[in-house]
Amino acid sequence: MRSKITGLFLFQVFLCLVTITLVLIPLFWTDIPWPTIARDHMENFGMAASGARNMVSAIYLGYRVFDTLGETIVLLVAVSGTIGIIAHGGDVLAKGFGDPSRNESLYQEKTTLVKKQRTALLEVVTGKLGPVVLVFGFYVMLFGHLSPGGGFQGGVVVASGIVFLALGGRADGSTRLTEAGVLAKLESISFLLLILASLSGVVFGGGFFANTLAQAGMPEVGFIVLLNAIIGLKVGAGIGFMCIAMLGRAE
Amino acid sequence: MIERMLLALLFLIGFWGIVGIRNIIKKIFGLTIINNAVVILFILEGSRIGNQVPILEEGIENIVDPVPQALMLTAIVIGVCITALALALAFRLYRHSGTFDIDQIHRQVHDVT
Amino acid sequence: MLPEDTVFALVVLPLLGAAIALSSKAFFTGKRKRNLEYLGAFVGLVLPWVVMIQLLPLVLTGQAIEGIIGGWHESVGISFRFDGLAWLVNLLGFTIAGAAWLYSLGPGPHGPHFTAVFLIQTSALAATAMTADLFNLFVCLEVMGIASYILIASSEKQGAFLASFSYLMVSATAMVFFLLGIYGIYRTTGALTYTGIINGLSGLPDHGGVVTYISLSLIVGAVAIRVAVMPLYGWLPDSHALAPHAVSSVLSGVLIKTPLFALSRVLLLVPAGMYAGQLMGYAGAITALVAVIIALSQSDAKRLLAYHTVSQIGYVVAAWGAALYVGTHTLQGSILMAGAFLHALYHAMFKGLLFLSIGTTTDCASQRNVYQLRGAARLLKQAGERIPITTITFVVGALAISAIPPFNGFASKTTLSYGLKDSWQYSMLYAAGIGTMASFIKLSRIYWSKPEQQNRFPVPVPNANKIAQTFLAILCLGTGIFAGPMYRFVVTLFAFGAPNGPAPVLYSTQTLMNTLILITGGTAVFLLASTRIGHNILKIIRERPRDFQGLFVAFSLGVTGLSGWLLFWG
Repeated sequence: MRSKITGLFLFQVFLCLVTITLVLIPLFWTDIPWPTIARDHMENFGMAASGARNMVSAIYLGYRVFDTLGETIVLLVAVSGTIGIIAHGGDVLAKGFGDPSRNESLYQEKTTLVKKQRTALLEVVTGKLGPVVLVFGFYVMLFGHLSPGGGFQGGVVVASGIVFLALGGRADGSTRLTEAGVLAKLESISFLLLILASLSGVVFGGGFFANTLAQAGMPEVGFIVLLNAIIGLKVGAGIGFMCIAMLGRAE
Repeated sequence: MIERMLLALLFLIGFWGIVGIRNIIKKIFGLTIINNAVVILFILEGSRIGNQVPILEEGIENIVDPVPQALMLTAIVIGVCITALALALAFRLYRHSGTFDIDQIHRQVHDVT
Repeated sequence: MLPEDTVFALVVLPLLGAAIALSSKAFFTGKRKRNLEYLGAFVGLVLPWVVMIQLLPLVLTGQAIEGIIGGWHESVGISFRFDGLAWLVNLLGFTIAGAAWLYSLGPGPHGPHFTAVFLIQTSALAATAMTADLFNLFVCLEVMGIASYILIASSEKQGAFLASFSYLMVSATAMVFFLLGIYGIYRTTGALTYTGIINGLSGLPDHGGVVTYISLSLIVGAVAIRVAVMPLYGWLPDSHALAPHAVSSVLSGVLIKTPLFALSRVLLLVPAGMYAGQLMGYAGAITALVAVIIALSQSDAKRLLAYHTVSQIGYVVAAWGAALYVGTHTLQGSILMAGAFLHALYHAMFKGLLFLSIGTTTDCASQRNVYQLRGAARLLKQAGERIPITTITFVVGALAISAIPPFNGFASKTTLSYGLKDSWQYSMLYAAGIGTMASFIKLSRIYWSKPEQQNRFPVPVPNANKIAQTFLAILCLGTGIFAGPMYRFVVTLFAFGAPNGPAPVLYSTQTLMNTLILITGGTAVFLLASTRIGHNILKIIRERPRDFQGLFVAFSLGVTGLSGWLLFWG
């Protein structure tokens, strides 16, 4: 059943689109040349300052790493909120995990659905591909300063590896990486590590988010690699956790 | 020129989806579409001042502006998070009310309270 | 330790607390888990006070701590600025957040996840207050937003899911427009930090012209959604009414004001910003009156309070906008800005208090309808409250919001009116004051007379509730009594460089006469509203049609109108 479309509704939609178009036109069709200040700085000094060849990584995990921290937090909150709202009937925030009174029916519904749709092909292929995808994920994560990639991208690939393992893995428990509890631990530990890494500069007198590894005499790029690894772990564990929860295997 | 026009059109389609369609799942699609339209616009315009990828290998000069790309990386992840959360809320609304139509959900909620 | 690091402790300590709370859930169970969660809350909500006190001498001298995070080059790095304004906004945030978290130990929501999300929200508040970078502001607002969507939904009511969804859709859409605004600013100036933007714009003919104006109005529009000024307030009443009580008090008290004060930094970037402030101020004055009329018509106790939040934020925005228009370096501007902040701070205290007291009361009576609940004071007594703390704290909050001396609402509203004297906004705010009085007489009726039915299952009032309420009530009274020193403290911290003028006189025959008129007027309006005709009119207002796309119509019209306004004046 659908609601009736009234004249007022159409008028409202029309009004919105027209006014927004009026605003967009000057913004999209401006002839002001694109500024080159930031580009010139990055081209001339970016590599020396950060040690990374990939300038996007240099900005993302060097110059503007505080934004990345915020982004990681958005992801953390979104993952825990989404799990709270979907997988547990929403009462995680209200009552906490492991509460026996939560809604069980949704789980069983989902688990049986997953079992029905499984085929041997799916199990074999995903089971074999899983480890390969994991390795590729770690490659993307650790080589983010040299080539396109980085913590977030690598983390998402790792998460899909975890999902593959969960789909293809048999019940004999050959890996614990697909257990929700393990992933939750990994996620919270890597979040703690990220905060501590940001604070490490404070302890050694370099300031908040200062490059501690460079002060200790290691190459500048070390800090970016470290952050890439931590963020990758965190994203992989977080998104993996969310997917596992959506598969109905959170316990 | 044509790409700006297409992007503006994409943005308007997304906005129309948010405002003019009652189905909440499609509203979320609309949100994703306008977010992506802005992301593409930012990166596209930022690449007009150069012609090489911003990875400083030997012999690379005149790179594109790397700042928009780094910013949009953040914006994309935030957009994905918002979408995930919105879909979760839509799922709960559907389970409570049995419909994706925003007006009917509104009506049911107001009948209860 | 460098001074810059001390500043970031305000952001990182709550985050550290959140990380501890999350780990407690992943690694431990039972009592250990709870203790570690409380440790996280202690780290996130109590330790920042040490930092705040340590920073106070520095900001009192009018200095600001500025710099670039991580010591990178200014053309790409993120700069920050911690000054008196940021200190005050942090004061606001940590006071209310601490009281609200304490309250949540009673009726909930409980659990490490709630604590973690709550702490992350607090940390985002601190970060928003001191960022001096446009894109970083975007990220901070998104963190704050996503935490609040989840906290609203955590009350597990169907209406709360719908409220959270509406808020998410309108606010996320507005944030995309904010991003478009950043695009406009970046492509004209090539910078994201505020100083870089000022330098870039001053080198352009006409400060960038149309593109700057439109970008600015997109940014202002997106922040105005968060601040919930008319006509962009539509998402607020439902979400604040249906969130858990502790969350409501933080949302109403802190979350809608922090973006406003962060926005004032953005508006000062462009000369045309003062006109944006002017228009916002007009909208604020109208908001104050219209929202109070709607509030008077409400039957749900918490929704009534939520509309009052809209109305009171109208007061703040009216003074804030007028201050930006006349310039904060003038005497009138500095009084207005200080008044705006004081009202924001005091409103956070008394509205937080009101949400908590009403929450305790309605939970105890299992009834939220203002027209049906009676004799709540007795019900509370039956529930085991020997000293009627909840009733007293409600009365304190109600007297404060209706601007009765010596409570703090009186001090801030008098300061505001002093700054706005002889303008049409003043009469709007005056009328809104009468409406506020009337609707709190209406709300206070739930406590008096006999209960219509015995409470069959009296729920004992948790001690955490009483402690949190008493704490806020003492603050309301204390800041009211010491209103003079508080005013001087705030003016010193703002450090506008305005000429030193006399502070507004709080207790004169005229202000006391005004209070008297307010009380009589409020009673008269209340009596009028209780008649049959008044009742019917209120019913029409209460049941006016509200739909989802109305939010977007308001947003598009608002943004376009603001761009037009700026183009016309700028």
